[in-house]
Amino acid sequence: MTTAATGTSSIANEIQLEVRDRKPFSLKALLKNRWFLYTVSLTLFFGLWKYVDYTRVLGNGIAPPEKVVVAIWRLMTDTVAGKSLWGHTWASLNRILIGFAIASAIAVPLGILMALNRYVNAVVKPIFDLIKPMPPFAWISCAILWFGIGEPSKIFIIIIGTFVPCLLNAYMGIRLIEPQLYDVIRMLGGNRRDEILQVGFPAAFPAIFAGLQISLSIAWTCVLSAELVSARSGLGFIIIQGMQLARPDLVLAGMVVLAFWAWATTLIVTYLEKYLCPWKRETSLA
Amino acid sequence: MAYEQVKVETPLILRVLPVASLLCFFAVWQGVVDFGIVPNSMLASPTQVAALFWEKLFVAEPDGATLLVHAYISIIEALTGFLLALAVGIPLGLLMGWFVLAEGLARPIFEMIRPIPPVAWIPLTIFWYGIGIPGKVFIIWLSGIVPCVINSYVGVRMTSPTLIQMARTYGATDWDIFKKICIPSALPMVFGAMTIAQAYCWTTLVGAEYLAADQGLGYLITMGRRLALPPMVLLGMICVGLTGVAIGVVIERIEKKLLAGIRR
Amino acid sequence: METKTQSKIECRNISKVFIQKGTQRVHVLEDVSVDVKPNEFVVILGPGQSGKSTLLRIIAGLETPTTGTVTLDGKEVTGPGPDRGLVFQSYMLFPWKTVLGNVELGPSLRGLPKKERRETAQHYINLVGLQKFEKHYPHQLSGGMKQRVGIARAYANNPEVMLLDEPFGQLDAQTRYFMEKETARIWETERRTVLFVTNNIEEAVYLGDRIISLQGKLPGRMHASYEVNLPRPREQTEMKFLQLRQQITDASELVL
Repeated sequence: MTTAATGTSSIANEIQLEVRDRKPFSLKALLKNRWFLYTVSLTLFFGLWKYVDYTRVLGNGIAPPEKVVVAIWRLMTDTVAGKSLWGHTWASLNRILIGFAIASAIAVPLGILMALNRYVNAVVKPIFDLIKPMPPFAWISCAILWFGIGEPSKIFIIIIGTFVPCLLNAYMGIRLIEPQLYDVIRMLGGNRRDEILQVGFPAAFPAIFAGLQISLSIAWTCVLSAELVSARSGLGFIIIQGMQLARPDLVLAGMVVLAFWAWATTLIVTYLEKYLCPWKRETSLA
Repeated sequence: MAYEQVKVETPLILRVLPVASLLCFFAVWQGVVDFGIVPNSMLASPTQVAALFWEKLFVAEPDGATLLVHAYISIIEALTGFLLALAVGIPLGLLMGWFVLAEGLARPIFEMIRPIPPVAWIPLTIFWYGIGIPGKVFIIWLSGIVPCVINSYVGVRMTSPTLIQMARTYGATDWDIFKKICIPSALPMVFGAMTIAQAYCWTTLVGAEYLAADQGLGYLITMGRRLALPPMVLLGMICVGLTGVAIGVVIERIEKKLLAGIRR
Repeated sequence: METKTQSKIECRNISKVFIQKGTQRVHVLEDVSVDVKPNEFVVILGPGQSGKSTLLRIIAGLETPTTGTVTLDGKEVTGPGPDRGLVFQSYMLFPWKTVLGNVELGPSLRGLPKKERRETAQHYINLVGLQKFEKHYPHQLSGGMKQRVGIARAYANNPEVMLLDEPFGQLDAQTRYFMEKETARIWETERRTVLFVTNNIEEAVYLGDRIISLQGKLPGRMHASYEVNLPRPREQTEMKFLQLRQQITDASELVL
């Protein structure tokens, strides 16, 4: 008696009974195994990478994976323009943290205020709508004009970039609160202040946090852009150095480290959210 | 009669405040420059920007092209990158959502590329393509692909399992289900991706043009700085913003038209 | 001639018109009058879209009637307040607070000291039968448990009147039967004046001393009033129960 082996395209919500019997090792089953495919994919990717370098199709524009690893290793021990890899990483992280802190300290309360008070909303929203569509990168020249090429201009860009999503999410967080939650407080004898403190802030917290996550990825782009333009330190600086010294391994090394830290910080914020908002059940995007 | 039409008005002050606020904003801006609180070498007043706008419509100096030419170039680049991103990202995301083969092969690469800000690719792109349009389109394409793949993927994953099971009871193959159920089901998410991708593409465009361009709105901003002309910088910024909004509105209209029948 | 006991709640000629979406007028209630005696369990019965929830919200003070008045103990109702406790159909628990935190919300808003708050909250948590679940969060509870927290929360504030807005509408049938029994038990243990809104006829006959039914289409009007003289605890399969249920069903069908 044979039983079917399912385990085909399983949709997230679809509960499928996986009934397997002992079949001989078959190619078809292997092709449906996710982990096998991941391995194949990665192998092909790195193989292709090595091949492209080998055939010099892109000329001097690429470095083989080993060289990139070596470059990263060297960066950790040697210095580039006076800083090791950790120094540069910290330089970038530092800018992000400062800019992000300033931006959210202004944007979140402002967004909440705009959502709670119609008059504040009427005054601030038109100006906000003017500023909103301008991409952070467009402000770089402006920032350099005003602040020169030092730290303040970079932090300014990060502030501009993170300000918009923080404010929007704080605003929407308050607006989308189930109105009946306010009724609960009022029926229990609370006044307007209780409504804001007991319902408004806690209920909007998950949305505010989501805004923080979005701002974080934007912040990385901003700090990178700012560093590509004018910097003496930071991960973007490493990449630019690589470009100026015609060293693609350095460029790729910078990119890899940058990707790693962007991913790591996102992970930290995600875990922070799970810890602080245990009641939040959302469908995660990929 | 239980239902009746009645007019309700927003109070007058709430309609006046936004206008007053904007006027105040521009007045303060103008005043700050006119009274020298901020030197003219750092900031240009609204009137100066407006004057330059009028001038740039017809004059190519000093940056090499009129305003409309710059805008045209930027829009063409962004649009090309955007459409290519749609063309590759959406099918890829859809396939990844349904077929394990597609997901298994594509996902690791995608997850590796994803955290890298598109702007980080600029130096590599300069190595490969030099300074010019193909490089910029490549970066814009990269930035547009990410939301397309993610949204299409999620759209397919969110297909109602009931519909799928129903199709299976009719004996549909995987391909049939994919074509007839998953794709139509995922369409709202896919169209959502269009709006997001367009915003990303436009944002990245400015960055791409900064480092590698000789025409375009981003280039205009850079030239403004290099030539120490604040009005040009501000003009470029405002044009970037306005064009971005205009494109966004167009995409939204298209999306509404195409989604008219489907309600989610 | 019966002596007239002072009504706990008096509604006189309540009408309500909503302005919806800025331009549409919706006439929800028309000339409804309800009297509730102290410690009476009154059920407002009606199918969907009959304005019964709106009537409850008006009594709660969350909406103002377009015409008519509501008085509680002789004083006119002008807004929400802790003298009326409201239990919502969709529970409306605060997801960021534990069960204990939710139940002691009312007392803490009134400024009670911590020890007293805890005791009061614990008393009512025990009353609804959730003794072991003080530290749980709402998302860890089932629907029936969540609603019990809602009831405990309303009770803990020591209101004069309990208002329940289709509290079991979102529960499955068996949980619903269980909750009906629990409600009767809780009410017997700690009597309050209760106004209970439902669309379920068995529920109404099982729980109420008096049933007021509203007609089945907008605007909601008073349709009929039934005295339920069955002794408690009631059985849903008793002869008299079924007769009353049939009577109400027949009368309702005429209107729909």
